Amino acid sequence: MEDKLSKEEVLHVADLARIEVSEEEIETYQIKLKELLNEVEKIESINDNDSDYMIAPWSNNASYREDIEEEMLNPKEALKNVPRKSGNYIEVPVVINE
Amino acid sequence: MSRYLDLDIVEINKLLKEGKITPTDLVEESFLRIEENKDLNAFITLNKEQALEEAKKLENEEIDTITFGIPIAIKDNIITKDLRTTAASHMLDNFIPIYDADVIKKIKDNKMIIIGKANMDEFAMGSSNQTSYFKPVANPWNKALVPGGSSGGSAAAVSSRVVPFALGSDTGGSIRQPSSFCGIVGLKPTYGRVSRYGLIAFASSLDQIGPMTRNVYENAVLLNIICGKSKNDLTSCETNEDFTRLIGKDIKGMKIAIPKFYVNDAIDDEIKDKLNSIIKLLEENGAEISYVDIKYIDKAVTLYQIIAMGEASSNLARFDGIRYGYSYENPENINDLYLKTRRYGFGPEVKRRIMIGSYLLSGENATTYYNKALAIRDDMRNSFLDVFKEYDLIIGPTATTKAYPLGKDLDDAVKAFMDDVLTIPVNMAGLPGLNLPIGFSTDHLPIGMQIIGSSFEEAKIYQLASFIEKKLNLDLNPNHNGGREND
Repeated sequence: MEDKLSKEEVLHVADLARIEVSEEEIETYQIKLKELLNEVEKIESINDNDSDYMIAPWSNNASYREDIEEEMLNPKEALKNVPRKSGNYIEVPVVINE
Repeated sequence: MSRYLDLDIVEINKLLKEGKITPTDLVEESFLRIEENKDLNAFITLNKEQALEEAKKLENEEIDTITFGIPIAIKDNIITKDLRTTAASHMLDNFIPIYDADVIKKIKDNKMIIIGKANMDEFAMGSSNQTSYFKPVANPWNKALVPGGSSGGSAAAVSSRVVPFALGSDTGGSIRQPSSFCGIVGLKPTYGRVSRYGLIAFASSLDQIGPMTRNVYENAVLLNIICGKSKNDLTSCETNEDFTRLIGKDIKGMKIAIPKFYVNDAIDDEIKDKLNSIIKLLEENGAEISYVDIKYIDKAVTLYQIIAMGEASSNLARFDGIRYGYSYENPENINDLYLKTRRYGFGPEVKRRIMIGSYLLSGENATTYYNKALAIRDDMRNSFLDVFKEYDLIIGPTATTKAYPLGKDLDDAVKAFMDDVLTIPVNMAGLPGLNLPIGFSTDHLPIGMQIIGSSFEEAKIYQLASFIEKKLNLDLNPNHNGGREND
């Protein structure tokens, strides 16, 4: 078995994570992610029949709440931390390349 | 300089009521102590002007709560309206929240005064406070050592007596392990006990906010205030109890379990010896102690890597450089903005965890590992709950080691979580767990034990913790001649 991931595999993960990685980081992740995979593979051998699992360690019944209109943020507050804005709009760079 | 902040909160409250001191005295003393302890680097942002203003305002108010005028430090991943909140990341180093977390509203309603935002590992990812964008925190007992993490700033601030109270958060041990390293009392409450609304999410099914204090009683007082149901967090639950109610009660006949995994070879002998002396003490006082097995407890770190990293990669997808936080200048297009904002905004440990999470949730890995991990975790939780059918509490060490030197190699994805091997199972099972200081190592560093309860059994944890605390009567103030007075 290969002791590291391929460069393409790492680039695919970085793309999913939306993180630009340097050549040096790619090499590190090729090894680190493989090491981690070897570690987590250990759970594969556990014969567990529990198919009725919870996504959180929490057994209370979730309850609905009333849908009541209430005071929310005004646009000025909501836009307070926006890096680039124009009036009451958030500016973003080009979404579709020509 | 006055030393009012060395007094317990009941004494402080008495002095306030008698008019001998004012909230302003407490706030000023707190800031003087921050100055004295500057080299701890326990805070990222101070709230001096606002805190003094609040203190002044309180002087005209009736002293109607035990926490009136008490200075508190808030971990910097809990958002505070109009007070910078960074999560110790470059990504948020200019972020000014526009609302208060639920716990912050409760802190303010109960007239506590927020002194500042405590340093931490970046996005709470780390166990030694060395991943902070704002430099590491030092341990008040020995400044060459780590305070633990990720709530290291909160732990150092309480331990050094800068503030009586701090809030931390705990995803895999981030309250209990630094509390152990710094010699304070820290509780991770039951999942759902405290609203997570306004806590910058790391792993949503594991995160809990909890109290960090100098002693057991004050911990219960602070939990009384921050607990309860919120309409903003549907996993939060209503609480109708006083957590101090069992403090001081006898422990005769109490049944206590120790998982065999909690006495394994990876744990320092000194820590095991201290725990053994506690076991002896408890037996002498009528408690029954037995060793038990808990299914898959030895796999908890592996499960944590899958579940916590998976959830983190999803939670941290929100940092896109568009709505708030750091944003890369002059990107070519929107994808370039995402890629570069996240490349330069996150530190190495955070990026590593996002990469791991993205990898383990990608393609077939999601069913092979993530779903499998959830199922095993469920079994582990049930095994814990089975133990609690027979036993009142579980005990063990909090950490496998005492505080270690700053600068320890962080670059090992697998070993990175070994610090938390004894605390992670508690988060995975959603249970409450508390660190209680039980003594010192030969080189005079604090050693802690962990007391774990069944779901929503915090009051019982405090009962046992206060019993041991009273018997040991340790001097846990590192400013007292290095704490050696009562040793």
